[in-house]
Amino acid sequence: MIEAHGLAKRYGSKTAVDNVSFTVHPGKVTGFLGPNGAGKSTTMRMIVGLDNPTDGNVTVNGRRYAEHRAPLREVGALLDAKAVHTKRSAYNHLRAMAATHGIPNSRVKEVIEMTGLGPVAKKRVGGFSLGMGQRLGIACALLGDPHTVILDEPVNGLDPEGVQWVRHLAKGLASEGRTVFLSSHLMSEMALTADHLIVIGRGRIIADAPIEQILSDQGQARTRVRTDNPAELIRALAGDGVTSQQLEPELLEVTGADSHRIARAALENQVLVYELTPLQASLEEAYMQLTSDEVEYHSHDLPQAAQAATVGEGK
Amino acid sequence: MSHAAVATPTRSTTSGTGVNFARTLKSEWIKLVTVPSTVVMLTITVVVMIGLAALFAWQTTVLLDLQGDPEMAAQMQGAPDATSITNTIPGSGLIFGQLLIGSLAVVLIASEWGTGMIRSTMVAVPKRIPALLAKQVVFAVVAFIVGAGSAFVSYLIAQPILSPSELEFGLGDEGVLLHIVNTGSVLALMAIIAMSIGTLLRNTAGGVVTTIGLLLILPILVATLLAGIADWIPDAARFLPSSAGEQMVAITIADGALNQWQGALVLGAWALVLLVVSLVVTKKRDV
Repeated sequence: MIEAHGLAKRYGSKTAVDNVSFTVHPGKVTGFLGPNGAGKSTTMRMIVGLDNPTDGNVTVNGRRYAEHRAPLREVGALLDAKAVHTKRSAYNHLRAMAATHGIPNSRVKEVIEMTGLGPVAKKRVGGFSLGMGQRLGIACALLGDPHTVILDEPVNGLDPEGVQWVRHLAKGLASEGRTVFLSSHLMSEMALTADHLIVIGRGRIIADAPIEQILSDQGQARTRVRTDNPAELIRALAGDGVTSQQLEPELLEVTGADSHRIARAALENQVLVYELTPLQASLEEAYMQLTSDEVEYHSHDLPQAAQAATVGEGK
Repeated sequence: MSHAAVATPTRSTTSGTGVNFARTLKSEWIKLVTVPSTVVMLTITVVVMIGLAALFAWQTTVLLDLQGDPEMAAQMQGAPDATSITNTIPGSGLIFGQLLIGSLAVVLIASEWGTGMIRSTMVAVPKRIPALLAKQVVFAVVAFIVGAGSAFVSYLIAQPILSPSELEFGLGDEGVLLHIVNTGSVLALMAIIAMSIGTLLRNTAGGVVTTIGLLLILPILVATLLAGIADWIPDAARFLPSSAGEQMVAITIADGALNQWQGALVLGAWALVLLVVSLVVTKKRDV
């Protein structure tokens, strides 16, 4: 279990993490989702004590990370894949890490097999691809067989097979009752892996809920309707929080009424309906909605950017 | 990497318990010997130190033989007697040895920041100070063995070179054993100074330049440019690390100079102060 209370990190005048409180529970995969620069990595670095919080505190299983007698057995962290000396082999890196906790070589070999590093374990890490680097980082995180696993962007640079492997691994670890905390800026990844989501933007928590709840809260159910008389149907549905949008001459998107109610209204008003499709809000849409104000680095369409530059506004 | 097993870890009962200093030392030892360039650098240091000593021994025989009378020749070079020159041959590679060991010490710690390795190190040993101390201890011991070992081998090699001129000397001669041991001690203390600088600067190039500046450039500056500014400056120069190190391996002590033990105290103080500062700063700063 990871508990953050009023956690804050400021670098000079820049606030990376701003008064963040959350709890990550064992037994499920908790996703930590946010745009680039939202404060995900800084928060994770504070959990394992690499950064000192400017304010607040964060504990793992009731204690600050550094106060644990065997930190690697409490928390396994993949913070960035390149936290390895490039001239050392993967095997020797893991051996040196294991030595600090008296973890035997048999466990080193175990995690090498588990992460599929076997064929390259004796090679210099400097020659590793991004994907192999990630696997080594994950191997290192699993070394102490920890109760809590923290993975910062674990699927970065992995091939599709590797992505699926990380997904299985995270779910497997959670099902064993461990705490799994996983960051990503990819909502599609989270939708497949996480049970619970903590969404962060510009250093603030903007959502902390089970993944289904975020979906239902953010995206109101919409229905796509094709009819030969849209005007009549819009009139029939009007009022009571129902909004209809005409997309094409015979195509409507109705928000605020389920398909049953739309069908009944059509029947009562003798309107022919030839398509009635409920649209599920995707996590992607929910996420864009949540973070639309919190994205630090907006991308612009080219003409807009050019315009902004001439007006001198920058971003 | 197309055939990774989809496996989940099982709670293994054989995993050890917590972090302690002995384990941290072992980890740092593994880290030292598993980067090939470190081992190469240490080997080069040994070879250079022994090679320089052999060269110096040969040069000594040539110089002293030329004059016919070794004692007079020594005095012409400003030394009180011939033994004060010959008996420091074992440690004559020290000046280069300390630059090599100093640079390597900086590289060992600064490359952890350069490669990101430091984050793995500090996550494994989050109290930080034991990790840095272990690295310092491991490398200081290695530096001592390199220094004293090279000096001893140099002593052995120098004897056959010196014997045609009847200049050979024994381990039992005054100051010789201390000279050999202290060649190691100077390297160990220089290693601590350099590694502390590397820890503070977190940058290989900056650390190496600073270390070389302190050991090589600063003494020259003090002796030439700065000496004229105030009377106390040449006096204070005796307390520079390089001067203190020279006194530690001296056989004969000039009037007013530090003796071997005073030299050790001064160099030890430099090492201790820099070490403590580097530990405190690293404990406080973000990694």
